[in-house]
Amino acid sequence: MNHQKPISADHSRRHFLASSSMGIGSVALSWLLNQDPLQAKTPVVRPELEKKHFDLKLKPTHHAPKAKSMISMFMQGGPSHLDMFDPKPMLQKYDGKKFPGDIKYDNAAQASSTVLGSPWKFSKHGECGTELSELLPGLSEVVDDIVLMRSMHTGVNNHGQSIYAMHSGRILPGRPTLGSWLTYGLGCESENLPAYIAMVDPGGAPVLGVDNWTNGWLPSLYQGTVIRPKEPRILNLNAPPHLSGKAQEKYLDFLGKLNQKHLNQHPGEDDLSARIASYELAAKMQTAATEALDLSKETKATQALYGIDVSESAEFGKRCLISRRLIERGVRFVQIMTGNQHWDHHTSMRTSLPRTCKRVDVPSAGLVKDLKQRGLLDETLVHWGGEMGRLPVIQNDAGMAKQGRDHNTYGFSMWLAGGGLKRGMTYGGTDEFGHHAVVDKVSPSDYHATLMHLFGMDAERLTFTRNGAEQSLIDKQVNRIVHEIIA
Amino acid sequence: MNGRLFLACLFSVSFSLSAAQAEDPAKKTDALSFENDVRKILKVHCLHCHGENGETEGSLDLRLKRLMVKGGDSGAAIVPGKSGESELIARIEAKEMPPEGKHMPEEELAILKRWVNQGAHTLRPEPKKIDDDYVFPDELAFWSFQPVKNSPVPKVKQPKLVRQPVDAFLLAKLEAQGLTFTAEASKAALARRAFFDLIGLPPTPAELKQFLDDKSPDAYEKLIDRLLASKHYGERWGRHWLDVAGYADTEGYNNKDMERPWAFRYRDYVIRAFNKDKPYDQFLQEQLAGDEMVKPPYHKLKPEEMEKLVATGFLRMAPDGTGSNPAEKEVAKNQVIIDTVNIVSSSILGMTVACAQCHDHKYDPIPQNDYYRFRAIFEPALDWKSWRTPAARRISIMSDADRKVANEFEAEAKKVLAERTELVNKFIDRTLERELLDVPEDKRDAMRTAYKTTGKKRTKEQVAMLKEYPRINRLSSGSLYLYDRTLHEQSGKATQKAKELAKTLVGKIKQETLQKIPEAERAAAVAAQKTDAKKRTEAQKKIIADYPALLVSTSSLAKFDKAGAAQIQHYKDEAKRLMELKTQKILTEYSDKATAIRSKKPTEEFIRVLTEVPGKIPKTFFFDRGDFEQPKHELLPAGLTVIKSNLEKAVEIPAANKELPTTGRRLAYAKYITSGQHPLTARVFVNRLWLHHFGKGIVASPTDFGKLGIPPTHLELLDWLSQDFVSHGWKIKRLHKMMMTSTAYMQSSQRSDDYDVADPDNLLYGHMPVRRLEAETIRDSIIAVTGRLKTDLYGQPVPVKEDEVGQIVVGVANVDSAGRQKKNIKMDDRQFRRSIYVAVSRSKPLAVLDMFDAPKMEPNCEKRSSSTVAPQSLLMMNSGFMVEHAEYFAERLQKEQAGNQAEQVKLAWMLAFGKEPSAEEVQQSVGFIKSQVPQFKTTAKAAGKTPEQLALATFCQALLSSNGFLYVD
Repeated sequence: MNHQKPISADHSRRHFLASSSMGIGSVALSWLLNQDPLQAKTPVVRPELEKKHFDLKLKPTHHAPKAKSMISMFMQGGPSHLDMFDPKPMLQKYDGKKFPGDIKYDNAAQASSTVLGSPWKFSKHGECGTELSELLPGLSEVVDDIVLMRSMHTGVNNHGQSIYAMHSGRILPGRPTLGSWLTYGLGCESENLPAYIAMVDPGGAPVLGVDNWTNGWLPSLYQGTVIRPKEPRILNLNAPPHLSGKAQEKYLDFLGKLNQKHLNQHPGEDDLSARIASYELAAKMQTAATEALDLSKETKATQALYGIDVSESAEFGKRCLISRRLIERGVRFVQIMTGNQHWDHHTSMRTSLPRTCKRVDVPSAGLVKDLKQRGLLDETLVHWGGEMGRLPVIQNDAGMAKQGRDHNTYGFSMWLAGGGLKRGMTYGGTDEFGHHAVVDKVSPSDYHATLMHLFGMDAERLTFTRNGAEQSLIDKQVNRIVHEIIA
Repeated sequence: MNGRLFLACLFSVSFSLSAAQAEDPAKKTDALSFENDVRKILKVHCLHCHGENGETEGSLDLRLKRLMVKGGDSGAAIVPGKSGESELIARIEAKEMPPEGKHMPEEELAILKRWVNQGAHTLRPEPKKIDDDYVFPDELAFWSFQPVKNSPVPKVKQPKLVRQPVDAFLLAKLEAQGLTFTAEASKAALARRAFFDLIGLPPTPAELKQFLDDKSPDAYEKLIDRLLASKHYGERWGRHWLDVAGYADTEGYNNKDMERPWAFRYRDYVIRAFNKDKPYDQFLQEQLAGDEMVKPPYHKLKPEEMEKLVATGFLRMAPDGTGSNPAEKEVAKNQVIIDTVNIVSSSILGMTVACAQCHDHKYDPIPQNDYYRFRAIFEPALDWKSWRTPAARRISIMSDADRKVANEFEAEAKKVLAERTELVNKFIDRTLERELLDVPEDKRDAMRTAYKTTGKKRTKEQVAMLKEYPRINRLSSGSLYLYDRTLHEQSGKATQKAKELAKTLVGKIKQETLQKIPEAERAAAVAAQKTDAKKRTEAQKKIIADYPALLVSTSSLAKFDKAGAAQIQHYKDEAKRLMELKTQKILTEYSDKATAIRSKKPTEEFIRVLTEVPGKIPKTFFFDRGDFEQPKHELLPAGLTVIKSNLEKAVEIPAANKELPTTGRRLAYAKYITSGQHPLTARVFVNRLWLHHFGKGIVASPTDFGKLGIPPTHLELLDWLSQDFVSHGWKIKRLHKMMMTSTAYMQSSQRSDDYDVADPDNLLYGHMPVRRLEAETIRDSIIAVTGRLKTDLYGQPVPVKEDEVGQIVVGVANVDSAGRQKKNIKMDDRQFRRSIYVAVSRSKPLAVLDMFDAPKMEPNCEKRSSSTVAPQSLLMMNSGFMVEHAEYFAERLQKEQAGNQAEQVKLAWMLAFGKEPSAEEVQQSVGFIKSQVPQFKTTAKAAGKTPEQLALATFCQALLSSNGFLYVD
């Protein structure tokens, strides 16, 4: 079986190509924000006379943090909020009838104006009484521990740009992702595990591939490290038998001397220092990562909590459990990716959506349960969501079995838990058909500002200086901290 | 282009910059204009429904100020001087408009208001008429659409520093900031830089010595000449072009990622073109229209004709899933066209036209019509209405003589196979009859008819009937071999019956004979029976003679029981007959025979080409919202309107050329863009060359010369280089030499704090950058240093496979159907070939290249990135590739400097770093090697080496994984 780099599905490619070609590079942004540094009469910021040094040591925060680490389950493709999170009686009422309004379609070739009521039943759960569909029996059990956000929106109707918006704050490529900002701003407690880890799915990397964990123009030290979906989870993690132990220690020591001398001859070359650091990290990772990735010490009961005993959810469950182990060992940010376009249910939703839910639902809920029972949930922010939701109308009206839903970036749902958030609440809402977020809308920048706030950071004050201009995750966009969801 | 104008262009991109940035304080008092300040805001937020492509919702067209004043169904959109009375402003403020998606950012609305309040000024009178293709003067004025200007070489304060005109342009800007070039790099550093830049391999000690020992003033120039003449030059620079062309040896598009055989000929064409210094205009013409430069039919091709046809492989590089039976075929076909257009525009024009597929380009003046005009240039060859899959587009290059021989062998093989088919049919019939014996006699005929009735024609009854007898139902040529097993069993049973019957009959006859003998003699008879013939007494002999049946056996049974013997024989015959009915062996003999005949055929080879079907000219339509199922008006081929509008004399692309059997559209277009008049062709290429020599482009976005791209740091230099390039015959090697013999290029890479403060991003080229080697260069250099590099050029790609842990390595996959690794297939040193010859598999990228940022071809690569991550370090520390090559490196050192560790260290240093180690470094290294030996005392044997070898190998590995090796000054 080949689980290597995916070729993205037909759909994603079309849209991604269209969007990526709108690229604006990092240099462009620096240019944009700085105009021409050499022609500016009075520089906005005095250039730093001392060379910047970058590392992963712990950094002071702006205010007391509530969250210390984060596990994000990134559901790439667009989980259907209308069938999972956001019940709409009007949809049922209009099921099969014409949609009484305008729809922003993505795929015109398969567009239909017929409303599609959710084929799945919603019911209230927990003490909070949040309504979830029958597709989410697992989440229903932890509904009192989560905040369900029903008013997300990005407004750009394709995967690539929306992914950029969710990861890096703007719809453009070249910018650092969330994990890079967190590790740049906060450092990392673990010295022998990567601060920022991306766990890739056997179904291949999400649309945009490595851009999902890129450091953009932040130093490459802050790039996400990939953990593969199968053994060996980290390639080349262990030395061949004859080189392991003292032989490798001495080799690394000698290599370190060579590199240090080279660096002395090349002062100010950040990339050379970063590579030296990457060797140091690699050596420590060998022992630490092997231990962190080993699930054999976890009890049967714990494994079952994550759905590892059920074949459909075993793979995703293992990655959730590994994430917990990584967080326990001081990793700052872990993102678990679902496969390429895993949630992009343009067609045959009735069969494919339940299948997708089965893979992910119990493990994600298990993660919340497990973090809670270990007292880790208070300091760990859990995120579950994708880059878009789906439309209230049918896509591909070629018989019931083939029906699906097209992209909807104007309103969609995601959930958060722990890390200083309230528990058992819903926030925001979409219109009566679930097309547009209308109540307490939350933009990617609002989301970013909120979560940075939970980490003790003011997202606009966490900046990176390039050519005398300050760059941030928010990038001067309108934003607000969603205080209503913070405990 | 001034920074402020550029800034202004960009806030439409970044939806909401802060007011401080959006409104330059210096500009606050300035009068705003429709052209400079307002139109671009409207273009992003409003024009899609109010002006573009005939869309005027509410009868409102916002493309001109006068049209805004005129207004639509709701009256005037603006009242100049009174933003409070302007409907447009009110609607935006109320967030009624734009109706969907993001609202207009406050600061942009503020600009609109201010403009209206100032009186809604325009810079110049507005056109009387405005059609869909109207290009506004401010758009025509954008730098990259302007003709290349004849830039005078600037005067500088330090003319001594000017080796090449290039230097004057750079120095003038440095001097203006009170800066200058830094010192020249050392000779050794310069050599290493030049080697990596031009051939992608490190200098050998001998090559380095030749240069260092050459004290003549033109020693460096001669070095550059030698490198430009090296056959490896084409491998290095061909690779750069293959990046932008999107070269791959697999088809991509979906998970099947089918193989793309024969693509390598295009790769070889590119390498040859660079080695031959083929002028860039010719290089482009051949790639865009080589087929239209060769007279069809494409048969008995001369080498130069074949070369031109192979060149069109450029237009066949896009992922193409149409041969993989994709789910949505029409989507797959159109995707090939979309990707091809994308590759052409990004690689050659430095423009991304793809945005204009569904709507007018939001930032660049590329109307949606232009996109489809551009597509029309390629559509006759990529005709989605009568599509040809990759296999159908191949051209065979087999000679007539070879083909004749091949045909003869094929005919012979076919004959054998026809005989085989006949046999198969016979065998099926025979098997059927046998199986029918299990069917009640009265149903046999009906069953036979049912079986003989093919699939869909079978009645329900027939289907039901057959279902009852699966052995008949599932009988086919494919399952025939399974019935052999039944025959084998039946035959065994018959044999068994024969044996049993014989045993029974012999026993019976013996018993009956004994019964006939008087009781008194019976004991003697039994004794006689048991006694060996030679030892019998006379009496015993007599008894036997009287009762010969006493000695009956299976072989003599016939004498005593004719009928019984016959029955046994019948069983035996049956067993034999059943065995002879077995089919597999016979059929295999026939197939083997056919295969043997076919193996004698000369191999048929192909070239991958892009061609048109003569006389077949498809129409190209404007696709509403980019949807091929919504074609609107027809469009004729043309280049981009904005460029055409700036030319002194507009160039047309005729829809058909009477001189040619094909449309000639691509040829006309290729000639147009290589005429020297086109403002982008030379600029884009020269910029690429600069990028690869200096680490960044004069335009830092090499595939985007539009408004979202990054404006040139040195426009005059870019123009001067472009003009010089074109006027000297588009010669690429000349351009390399000019750049590489400049003072700017020959600078040291040493930074200084003072300079970093003034120009932290080195935008003015006050020193050279320290660059990490590219993926292929890292791998090739490792193999070169270890002495194993195979330097042969061209040919079939070196295969890649997944190794047992899922890493992609060089090798031939040999995995059984259950996924188990079978024995390794010999590589004949192919694993030591340069990386450009390793198969580019979109789904299986070679790990060592992938890890160091080799491009992903989806569809092509505009610019490579350079990452620094822990997994790279783990690869250097632990991968099989590195460990193996460190051992080769050690072997080489031991061979070339046997017994002398200090000399081994010196040689290693020269090979890996291109310089001599200091005495201290030698001493430290020798100490390190010695200190490593004890670690391998117990493990060396298992690794098949001595402890000393392994110790030396870890030293080698340290060198190869060090920054000194991985980076170039």
